[in-house]
Amino acid sequence: MNDVDIRFTLNGVERQAAVAPNVLLVDFLRDSEQLKGAKIGCSRGVCGSCTVLIDGTPVAACSTFAFQADGRSVVTVEGLAQGGALDPVQQAFIDNAAFQCGYCTSGMILMTKALLAENASPDRSAIVEWLSSNVCRCTGYAQIIAAVEDAAQRLREAAR
Amino acid sequence: MNAPLTVVGAKVPRKDAIDKVSGQAEYTVDVALAGMLHAKVLRSSHAHALIKRLDVSKARVAPGVRAVLTHADIPAHFMPVYGYFIKDQPIVAVDRVRYVGDIVCAVAADSEAEAAAALALVEVDYEDLPVSATIESALSEQAENLFPVIPFGVMPTYGQGASGKMWPQKNVCYEFDYRSGDASAFERCEHVFEDEFRFSRMHHYHLEPFAAVANARADRIEVWASNQNPFPLRKELARIFKVSESSVTVHVGMVGAGFGSKNNCKAEPVAVMLSMMSRRPVRFCLTMEESALTNTQHAAILRLKTGVMKDGTLVARASEILLDSGGYTDASPLVAEKAGYRIPGPYRWQYVDTRCLCVMTNTAPAGPFRGFGGTQATWASESQLDMIARRLGIDPYDMRVKNLLKLGEPFQPGDSGIDSDLKEGLDLVCEHIGYREPRKPLRGKGLSIGCKDGGGVKKAAQARVRILTNGDAILNFASVEMGQGIRTAMTQVVAEVLRLPHGRVSAPSINTDHVPFDEGTNASSGIAVMGRAVEGAARAARERVLDFAAEQLRCDRGELDLDNGFIVQGTGPNAQRHPMGPMVMGFYGGPGFEFTADGFYMPPVDHRAPLESPCVFWEIGWGAAEVEVDPGTGIVKVLKLVASGDTGRSINPLVCKGQEDGAAVQGYGQALFERMIYNERGELLNIDPLIYRVPLAEDLPADFVTITQQQGHGPGPFGAKGAGEGTILPIASAIANAIDDAVGVRITELPITPERVLEALERKAAAKR
Repeated sequence: MNDVDIRFTLNGVERQAAVAPNVLLVDFLRDSEQLKGAKIGCSRGVCGSCTVLIDGTPVAACSTFAFQADGRSVVTVEGLAQGGALDPVQQAFIDNAAFQCGYCTSGMILMTKALLAENASPDRSAIVEWLSSNVCRCTGYAQIIAAVEDAAQRLREAAR
Repeated sequence: MNAPLTVVGAKVPRKDAIDKVSGQAEYTVDVALAGMLHAKVLRSSHAHALIKRLDVSKARVAPGVRAVLTHADIPAHFMPVYGYFIKDQPIVAVDRVRYVGDIVCAVAADSEAEAAAALALVEVDYEDLPVSATIESALSEQAENLFPVIPFGVMPTYGQGASGKMWPQKNVCYEFDYRSGDASAFERCEHVFEDEFRFSRMHHYHLEPFAAVANARADRIEVWASNQNPFPLRKELARIFKVSESSVTVHVGMVGAGFGSKNNCKAEPVAVMLSMMSRRPVRFCLTMEESALTNTQHAAILRLKTGVMKDGTLVARASEILLDSGGYTDASPLVAEKAGYRIPGPYRWQYVDTRCLCVMTNTAPAGPFRGFGGTQATWASESQLDMIARRLGIDPYDMRVKNLLKLGEPFQPGDSGIDSDLKEGLDLVCEHIGYREPRKPLRGKGLSIGCKDGGGVKKAAQARVRILTNGDAILNFASVEMGQGIRTAMTQVVAEVLRLPHGRVSAPSINTDHVPFDEGTNASSGIAVMGRAVEGAARAARERVLDFAAEQLRCDRGELDLDNGFIVQGTGPNAQRHPMGPMVMGFYGGPGFEFTADGFYMPPVDHRAPLESPCVFWEIGWGAAEVEVDPGTGIVKVLKLVASGDTGRSINPLVCKGQEDGAAVQGYGQALFERMIYNERGELLNIDPLIYRVPLAEDLPADFVTITQQQGHGPGPFGAKGAGEGTILPIASAIANAIDDAVGVRITELPITPERVLEALERKAAAKR
């Protein structure tokens, strides 16, 4: 199998790489780019621990090939903090204790980023619908839902 | 020392917060060593079979392969088996496989893909043996014996009324018995009710799979493990591989949850053995499916015989509990002890007689699972209590209150007193569910109280606190951070004692060479057992600083206090504040110093206590549910779920609430839909994560309330009790009780699926005709 040359943006930085066509995006990020925030949980695109954003859309990196990033913009949890300051979504997750073991957290935060980019004022049912594509086995979700509501409010206030 | 608390009880962020929201937290799956190989194992597709031929010759020469492990490759002086009490589980199969998923052989290769490709070249001839996939079939006369040769094991010891037996009959690895009171009490009962309950098993579904990285030589083993008991793991690895315990190092970073499963050996022995063979570091990381085949909850059959007076007074209870232990014993004897001991519930009895058997079946090994036998016991006990109340025409609330143990009343003779006001908690959940409000058609409300002994039995814990030159502190201790927030709570305790901001106390990750011994992170023992060691270490280290300062200041030790890195001399407006740094360096020189002290705690041993040590604290979970039942479909909608625990005092309230939420939702999934489904051939039908269903955000009840009580009676630092297991206990029975309240049918088997409800409704309708 010949490697595929890809050009893409990773957390805002232009990148080039040669990837084997059977390499998964999650393995490429974790093993080649040393970005280990995306976690492998179920490897079936079910649990959402490996969620990253491609052109702003949340995808399961365990079910996406690395070459599919070609020409696109990939954002991982490592790319959210700007200039040493946490993203408001990250801060809301901390303030609401919206994680326990933390294994699902990168995915939950990126899912929240995507939701709030699409809908700045999601109601509870919209939040629940979006979060239901990711599994958290620890929290029982209540504090995650609270964090998303909190993050939405912070972002709205910052935008005013 | 009666200053108001500033760090304990405060809303401080978790110690691991920034790492966990920014992808920087290091889990075992993230560990990568130079030259590291990757392991994969071949798992049996047969539930019970002899291995007649195993040919790995093609795998040995496959691309990228560095080592192939079969039973024949294990040196004769190693112990090829491991286990909690009973050493029965082989590193790789010896001569037979006992369940679908049992490890046959293993490969280490340059990549996981190459390891998997090599395993596809392995040839195995099996000779099938009869399969026992259920408790009933394993106990039947014609059942094949899973262990024709009895494995070596050691017995736990017990106090008053309790006893255990190893391998009392075929396919039963352990029997726990407990009796107290007057056996003739049944004769005085006005009613005796016998009921049977069934409990399905869940997969722990920890998102981080079982994983280990090993770097081992013949005389030295270093392991990075996703494991909640680093020191017992060190001991087991030393035993298996015949090296000194002092030559085994276990590192534990963040653990991506465990819910009980990450005990003893899981991925570690295969990784160590392959590392020894290849002389390279080896990573063995299971998939989620493999994790489900490695450890599960115990399915159970519970038969209760309960004698009562017609006014609802509980008198006598005899119980038989059959736990499905799966193919290997793991922690089953301990789960049996707890299920058996917890079956009386938090009530007053004249006679208790319990018998609990661990039944070996050709299914995945069952082990510790949040609630640890208490979940099974509470499902049966709280369901039956409700059934009896309804049969006698007594309100289930009144019947509970009539029999509840009072604050301070011993759970059983010789044991410690109940350290929660049980009625206070019950009244609280009743109020939140609107228990006294009139019922709407097809709607009902149910209650339940779960109660388990918390803190483990005779657990020894040690901790070390180091106060640095400028007053900052380091806490060295071996409680594993699995999400429960233990490293946050313990550093809060240290910060409170030393009167430091929380940010000035750090707790480095665990390396068994550098942290004091601890028995393990389990049984909700963190705050109530380890917490006392931590508090003791902090107080002792503080004393050392003050002793030093008193010498330097040539004053009476009683005049001094420690506050935010200052030695405070005197009180009130005239108090002088001396920064620690200059004082310490003035005496010890430029490099400064560390004032180090250890803390230790172990609950007292007392043979009058049934489990040989009075319970450290009682972990209570109160539950209340309101349901609506659709009689056309059998679908149960939980309109409201209320769960409450008692932390004694919450060291970190948000973390405590998260524990209570999470445990309640696990119980909720178990109540309504989550279960592992085996067929009679011992095949797990819903192992794929695509079809194994755990609760999602959309599954939450419309109204979900958890209430953390802080009743203040805990034995831990500042009155704290353990948390995290209580609220899984009462959920399923509260929902079943609410269904009975709504439509008058009783579901005695989990999960409460629409089919079961519909069937019960049809039976009820047929009985009326």
